[in-house]
Amino acid sequence: MSGQEQDPLAFEVVPPGRSGPDEHGRRRVHPWTPFIAGVRWWPGGIIAGVTLAAQLDVQVGQGAILVGLAALVVVTLLGTGFAYLAWTRLTFWFDDDGDLRVDSGVISRNERRLQLSRLQSVDVLQPLVARVAGMAEVRVEVAGAGDSKINLRFLTLREANELRNEIIARSAGVRHDVEEAPENVLVRVPAGDLVVSLLLRAETYALLVLTVVVLAVTIVTEGTAGLVLIVLGGIPVFQVFAQFSRYYDFTVAESPDGLRLRHGLLQRTRQTVPPGRVQAVGFVQPFLWRTRGWVRVRLNVAGVSSRSEGRGDESYSENVLLPVAPWPVALAIVARVLPGVDLGAVPTVPAPERARRRAWIQWRQLAVGWDDEVFITRSGRIVERWDVVPHARTQSVRVTQGPWERALGLASMHVDSTPGVVKVVGLHRDATEARVLAQEQADRAATARAGDRSLRWVAQQHLAGTAPAAPVSAPSGVGDGSPILGSGAAGVADLGAPSSAVDAHPREGPEP
Amino acid sequence: MADETRTIDDAFSPPGQSWMRVSPRLARAYRITLGFWALVAVAVAVGLAFVPGLPDAVSAVVLLLALVVIAWIWWLIGRRVRSWGYAERDDDLLVTRGIMFRRLVIVPYGRMQLVDLRAGPIHRWLGIATVQLHTAAATTDASIPGLTPALAADLRDRLARRGEQRSAGL
Repeated sequence: MSGQEQDPLAFEVVPPGRSGPDEHGRRRVHPWTPFIAGVRWWPGGIIAGVTLAAQLDVQVGQGAILVGLAALVVVTLLGTGFAYLAWTRLTFWFDDDGDLRVDSGVISRNERRLQLSRLQSVDVLQPLVARVAGMAEVRVEVAGAGDSKINLRFLTLREANELRNEIIARSAGVRHDVEEAPENVLVRVPAGDLVVSLLLRAETYALLVLTVVVLAVTIVTEGTAGLVLIVLGGIPVFQVFAQFSRYYDFTVAESPDGLRLRHGLLQRTRQTVPPGRVQAVGFVQPFLWRTRGWVRVRLNVAGVSSRSEGRGDESYSENVLLPVAPWPVALAIVARVLPGVDLGAVPTVPAPERARRRAWIQWRQLAVGWDDEVFITRSGRIVERWDVVPHARTQSVRVTQGPWERALGLASMHVDSTPGVVKVVGLHRDATEARVLAQEQADRAATARAGDRSLRWVAQQHLAGTAPAAPVSAPSGVGDGSPILGSGAAGVADLGAPSSAVDAHPREGPEP
Repeated sequence: MADETRTIDDAFSPPGQSWMRVSPRLARAYRITLGFWALVAVAVAVGLAFVPGLPDAVSAVVLLLALVVIAWIWWLIGRRVRSWGYAERDDDLLVTRGIMFRRLVIVPYGRMQLVDLRAGPIHRWLGIATVQLHTAAATTDASIPGLTPALAADLRDRLARRGEQRSAGL
């Protein structure tokens, strides 16, 4: 890979290329996987050990430390042992149809086949431990209900990136030995802005207060309740650091296979969001960001885990396109995700004045708007929200009316998108108007679907005789290669491969 | 209907033609389920009479409350079932339901991912089934209960066929 930036945290200890195919073309993840899996138990093990020691009033001394170390070794060996068994039984390969097959399981065998034509995302993740060893995890997700996701952990970073490229290329139905597509960095969020933006959020102060309360209760009662809470849930204010760590060095780049998002201080994540795969976009502006004109941008992408599905070790509990950016930058980036949409020019219609009796804080903000491409809703007085769904991505339209709304002759109109953080709701419209809006939106959606070309990005490029890997000419408007936000303007190096490609087809699970 | 509900009728009125209504047997299915809960409630109320140190009035009040609530829900079920309606249009299916919280969902055929047909034991015994539509959005929530099995199977097949013809990816 060209221009691979040296990762300051990685020790180049792992010899690459050890996970090549065997005589049947089947591949294994890296042989170091079991050990890394064992080491991953350390943080939990250390916290549990220290808590236990505190509970039992163990005197800190040589003996205690030795016992602790011995326990750690045992835990590591156990973890490694189980992981080794799993490693011996896990193979993956591309079958004759070009689909990704994964064969795994120690006690119950599990053979999965991911139909790559239904690919939703490929992410390359580097949890801290793996990152230090120069390893990465590849997460592949196809459209489907339930368990349609595979995590291949771990491969060397180079192999992970190559596998990602191969999966994207195969899903696009083109030669799979193509080079990684070149990219063009649009924005890099400065660390200073990220820190300030986190300090300007009410959550931060709520968490701080919670931390103080927990600590105070622990000290006053001289009990262990607070300690247990902290061990179970972590120190609340640490959540803020976790956010900082997750979105540190957030980089948005553009390439022919989509927008690439890279971020993370300890755990690095590389994601790709192809244009046309974005189901909905939401702008959020917390109260204290208003004077600075900052906004956060979130996405719904089909198949990519929403919050409820996320586990602790997963990098995104919400899909963030930009953790913080000035309005013009955010709009410019969103214009790349939703081509041909000028959000500033969409006319909006406010909710009727009697909505103030239903929503007495935010009624003045409530509005809906639409043009030929998108439907927009606006809500929230303290935290302002703008939610956007392209007509072509409208799943269904709903009108709802609670008793209070009915008394006022109001109704709310929802445009349903795939599961995710962005919910598009035109709150508290005139009831008759809501019904008309819903019907019109259904018609607009039907028209947009009929004319929708964005899903056939690969076919277009293919027909045009352009390999997906071909460089894209510098687009006009934002960027032209230079980041819009302050730092990192010059010499932004290619950090390597990002991750997900989304192909949108009717959902169907992987065949067993 | 009184005047103040005029706008609702507009907002939730059928599109051109009239709503297809669901079978009144659905109300019976719901009322059977309600009956089980009524038995439980009455049993609890009667049980309270045998708790030592508790005045009999408590048991009587609980029993009375339970009966009032059950009668109210009994009546509500009738209205709720009558509120359910659906309409098949050229490009989309409309489903409406609810009295207190009214809702109307418009599902384009091209967005349907799968169509479920299901019937629990009580529903089967009464000869009704539920057709449920799923889109890629979890919030779509379009189900039509209380269809006779033949009607339900027809509807499912028709919807599935239209969905296939107009399938539009995500």
